[in-house]
Amino acid sequence: MQDERQPRPDEERHEFREEAESLWRITLAPVAWVAHFVTSYGIVALVCAKAPGLLGMTRGGLGLATLLALAVIAWLGWRAWRQWDYRTTGDYTNARGEAEDRHQFLGHAAVLLALISAIGVVYGALPVLLLETCR
Amino acid sequence: MSDTDQTGPSGPYPPTEAMLAEPVSPEEQERTATELRAAWEAPRGWRYFTAVNNSEVGLWYALTAFGFMLLAGVLALVMRLQLAVPDNDLISADRFNQFFTMHGSAMMFLFAVPMFEAIAILILPAFLGSRDMPFPRLSAFGFWCFVIGGVFVMGSLLFNSAPTAGWFMYPPLATQDEGPGSDIWLLGLSFIEIASIAAAVELIVGALKCRPPGMRVNIMPLYAWYVLVVGGMILFAFPPLIAGDFLFELERSFDWPFFDPTRGGDPMLWQHLFWIFGHPEVYIVFLPSIAIAAMVVPTVARRPIVGYSWIVLSAVGTGFLSFGLWVHHMFTTGLPNISLGFFSAASEAVVIPTGIQLFAFAATLIVGRVKMSLPMLWIAGALAIFTAGGLTGVMLAIAPFNWQVHDTYFIVAHLHYTLFGGMVFPVIAGVYYFFPFIRKKMLSERLGRWAFWLIFTGFNVTFLPMHLTGLLGMPRRIFTYPDSAGWGWLNLVSTLGAFVIAAGFAVFVWDLLRPKGNQKQVPRNPWDAGTLEWSHDVPEEYWGARSIPHITSRYPLWDDPKLVERMDAGRYYLPDSPHGHRETMVTSVIDASPELVQRVTGPTWITLWAAAFTGGAFIFPTFHMYPPAIVSGAFAVVCILYWLWTSTARPPEHDMREAGLGLRLPTYASGPKAVGWWAVWITMLGDATAFASVVFGFFFYWTARPDFPPEGALHATPGLVALAAGALVASWALTLGARHWNGAGRAGVARAALIAAPLLAAGGCAALILSVQALEPTQHVYPAVICALTVWVVAHGAVGIIMQLYCLAGSLTGKLTRRYDADLWNITLFWHFLCLTVLVAAAVMGLAPRVL
Amino acid sequence: MTTRLKQTDGQRKLRDVEIVMKTSMAGKSRRPISAEPGRPRARLAPLVALALLAGCDGRQSVLAPAGADARVLDSLFWVMLTGAVILWLLVNGLFFYVMRINRGAMSRRFADGLIIGGGVIFPTVVLGALLAWGLSIMPDQRAPGEGLTLRVTGEQWWWRVEYWPEGADTPIVAANEIRLPAGQRSEILLNAGRVIHSFWIPALGGKMDMFPGRETRMSLKPERAGNWRGQCAEFCGASHALMAFEVVAMPPDDFDSWLQAQAAPATPPGDAAAQRGARIFAREGCGACHAVRGTEARGAVGPDLTHVGSRLSLGAGTLGTTLEDFETWIAHTGAIKPEVEMPGYDHLTTADLADLAQYLKGLE
Repeated sequence: MQDERQPRPDEERHEFREEAESLWRITLAPVAWVAHFVTSYGIVALVCAKAPGLLGMTRGGLGLATLLALAVIAWLGWRAWRQWDYRTTGDYTNARGEAEDRHQFLGHAAVLLALISAIGVVYGALPVLLLETCR
Repeated sequence: MSDTDQTGPSGPYPPTEAMLAEPVSPEEQERTATELRAAWEAPRGWRYFTAVNNSEVGLWYALTAFGFMLLAGVLALVMRLQLAVPDNDLISADRFNQFFTMHGSAMMFLFAVPMFEAIAILILPAFLGSRDMPFPRLSAFGFWCFVIGGVFVMGSLLFNSAPTAGWFMYPPLATQDEGPGSDIWLLGLSFIEIASIAAAVELIVGALKCRPPGMRVNIMPLYAWYVLVVGGMILFAFPPLIAGDFLFELERSFDWPFFDPTRGGDPMLWQHLFWIFGHPEVYIVFLPSIAIAAMVVPTVARRPIVGYSWIVLSAVGTGFLSFGLWVHHMFTTGLPNISLGFFSAASEAVVIPTGIQLFAFAATLIVGRVKMSLPMLWIAGALAIFTAGGLTGVMLAIAPFNWQVHDTYFIVAHLHYTLFGGMVFPVIAGVYYFFPFIRKKMLSERLGRWAFWLIFTGFNVTFLPMHLTGLLGMPRRIFTYPDSAGWGWLNLVSTLGAFVIAAGFAVFVWDLLRPKGNQKQVPRNPWDAGTLEWSHDVPEEYWGARSIPHITSRYPLWDDPKLVERMDAGRYYLPDSPHGHRETMVTSVIDASPELVQRVTGPTWITLWAAAFTGGAFIFPTFHMYPPAIVSGAFAVVCILYWLWTSTARPPEHDMREAGLGLRLPTYASGPKAVGWWAVWITMLGDATAFASVVFGFFFYWTARPDFPPEGALHATPGLVALAAGALVASWALTLGARHWNGAGRAGVARAALIAAPLLAAGGCAALILSVQALEPTQHVYPAVICALTVWVVAHGAVGIIMQLYCLAGSLTGKLTRRYDADLWNITLFWHFLCLTVLVAAAVMGLAPRVL
Repeated sequence: MTTRLKQTDGQRKLRDVEIVMKTSMAGKSRRPISAEPGRPRARLAPLVALALLAGCDGRQSVLAPAGADARVLDSLFWVMLTGAVILWLLVNGLFFYVMRINRGAMSRRFADGLIIGGGVIFPTVVLGALLAWGLSIMPDQRAPGEGLTLRVTGEQWWWRVEYWPEGADTPIVAANEIRLPAGQRSEILLNAGRVIHSFWIPALGGKMDMFPGRETRMSLKPERAGNWRGQCAEFCGASHALMAFEVVAMPPDDFDSWLQAQAAPATPPGDAAAQRGARIFAREGCGACHAVRGTEARGAVGPDLTHVGSRLSLGAGTLGTTLEDFETWIAHTGAIKPEVEMPGYDHLTTADLADLAQYLKGLE
């Protein structure tokens, strides 16, 4: 965009420029949920079909996978929380049509998606915790 | 894209208040309005059906879908009559089975999904202050496909040859079914699925690239967010079903035993593929309808929505989680409990974003000053019904409870509660809300209340007792039951209720159709809403937005009192059409900064022809008439090529265009800046998903069946598979090279590459066919899967060859030049995906049998 | 329609048969459930009353559990229903309040809190707990059997039943009726002939699908002797609605003697009519599809008829078992059960039909 306008100070800030954003980023936490879900389901299906005896070990491995997924989601959530910058701005709605609001909104949405993904992962780990056999 | 540097946007942006305050002279207003009116005028007389504008196509789409809904509703009434008393013999078992199959299929495929597409096509551009969808002809093509497929599938009822295996067509029942019923279902609906994917591509590109300048992602209307999410879901949900249909039809037509357990097949694969589609489908239907509520609620509360981010989270989260639910339709298939547990967990988790959505509505109403209206009454009814359906959904997600009530009337009750509450009521709310937008007249408040109370009461009288009927042991899909079962009175009550619903719909239909000529036109914004669609002119103009505004808030009509006046004056962007073209604005994905003035296509017969021939290609095989099908398919390809050649990515007459407010925008783009490139990208994502589903089938058989691959089985010849892969990859490399050389101004080299590439591709396809020639796909599922992969790759190779030749022809005739190379960018993208497909297919065919 | 008339006869007859069998359970299943003490259903009195009104004769009812598995699921249901009703009232009450009663603007803090509290925290906890409960129920449902194994195959549209007592190497073949020892968990292996069916006895436990070429399993533990009805739950073609079966749980000793009797070959025809019937059975080629052990009839396409006279229903839970029912069924199979594979023998004379019925009825 060729500018004849006066750039607002906040728009000069590197992190708000459009190229730095991607809608994909807000989906990263749900993607972590997908990975956890597919791994759990796929491995259990394979083990129960081909080697039911290994289920005990598999459950242990899936426990670790759960911790890993939660760690990834927590990291994404923390990053998104910083992007949202709620503690500085106190802005809960990010409703203005400015780059800063857009930037923080995407952070806010990503925080919430991380939250829901974490719940999904914890729920998804319950069967591994509570069910011990392939029956 | 180095050569577009001088041709990028230039001029001031964003516009200052001073620029916007400057008046437009009345003469100027008059001149530009005349130009615009001429460009967007709808065709008249017979030619009316050549229209492709979203306001026409969307309306036809909606009316057709609604018509199919009424027909499917009539089927339900006949079924309710049959079940009203025990041991009834009003209709035969066979007819009953046809009716329930078609009731479900039509409601899902001919009403719910198309209705979403229809409404979105009709109103999304208005929400976005856009003139039209980015690909109007694609919408029209999708619509005509839908009409032809829908009439064909529904028409089978008249010949007593409709499918009878239920709307999820479980094999082996459906594969063994004699007569064309199952083929009609499969081919007719595959055809419609393709229309849905076309609509999804259109809507995603529309929501991402056709927003008005300044409408960043954080202020776009929630409806657009939902459309975006749902479009993405369609892209990943429909392809598995298309892959399933592909395998199913190969079994029906050529006896390839994918679902036949006697030859290594497995009916469970269909169940997986169907429900990977089928559950997201429920949310595909639900989300856009609740999106209507998200537009109505703030208007009623007279304040911006509370929890915008929460609702975005809810839509995106639901979109993801809905793909982890499919096995809850298969809880009784004997999968290991621990596997069921994962799906039970995801099915409970998805309740949370759905709940958040409803609480965000509640929060908005709490904070706002509520002014009730008829649409809100329907929304309230929707919430009452949907929450009940959601709560029974929570119960059903608990696998052991599901073991009891699965496949009973409890399920019938649950699914109707979710779909009436989650789809039918919000859509009717939408009809009442948007009717003044569409027709510039109001529907009757009095009739609307009558319709509401009749349908609401009738619905609960019909479906509430069904929970109990199911708990008392009545399985679904039975055409009769003995008196001694004790279900008689419950069924009678349900039947009475069904007729009350029908009465309510009769009132609603009358309200829609009754002549309203005497009624005066509505005020422009009858509900005092805050979003852009209410800026449209009264009386109606075909141009959509008079000028495309610069947007800085979520509710521009509330926050910027001068906006409408300035739009009307043509103060904003694209108020004119100097060359008589239909144009709309393309902006960037995140911040909606202006990028391009996109020329959009106008009325034509070609989409109708293309749809008719495509229809032939799908319908003839139903009756095993393959030669006419092939001819019809060839004509369809010719029509589509003609359509592309004459109207897409043509070099423009003028490279730049004064877009208004001093902004100069290019009129041509290639690569990621072009909407066509996005469309190809999105389509190929869906295509890749379908291919992945077929590959999933291969590994599914490997886990589920001990004899896969069977001992001593013939494999694809490894040398030939490698040769095929090599040739196709080389063809890809040459295509990429052609783009590069063309961009570097070496047209000769590019043309040579475009001559060699199709030859290599054809050679590769031939080698692949030769590699499997010894295999007998009717013997066992293993050779059948290998051959299916071959068919898949070869079919895509053929499309790839046509694309290369198209670009070659373009280069030779001057349609495709160094500067205007969008076609080459688009086909290269296709070839990227094809290259990946080839490599995966070759690995599965050549390597996997040895590794496993 | 014949079926309709016969059905009531059939049901009456069914009760007679039970009494004849002296298993002392006839009628017990029909006793109003509320009469049984110690049942946890004080909640939601009106709803329960409504359910009982319909369910008291519920031979096929989830709400009248008589099996260990079904009982757990029944409690689960009532707890979930209570929760669901309360939540429905709260949510819709809230909407009613803000739309009808207090339309003015209320606090933003409350609204935001509602989204977080009502939308996230509360459901996460409640659903998590419910999920954990649901998952923990699963291992006990369908636990391994304690001796007897049944192998049930879903055919078009009837049930092939094989009893495999512990250690047996050949099965005792029967059809269209499931008998189980009360108080004991029996293993049930499920298969299907051509298409998918689903095996379901609501009073005893959840259902399980039956696939061609893929064995599934379940187990059931009737808590007491009694008589219930099961039905195919997965749509399986034209006569899906007419694919049911009688279920009888018997005290273990009674069950053992019953099974012994079932293992024996068929009773030879007694009176002259039955003997004529046996000859008609042979002449019409019935043995090509049906087996009557101890005779030339060895067909395995249709149900085994060795002890058909002792069963509680004909045509897979469609008709009763009077002589009339036999005659109707043999002569009008297709009219009673659409698209059934057995042809109707309506070319037989009335006398022949009566004799044939006499013979079959005598196969006890």
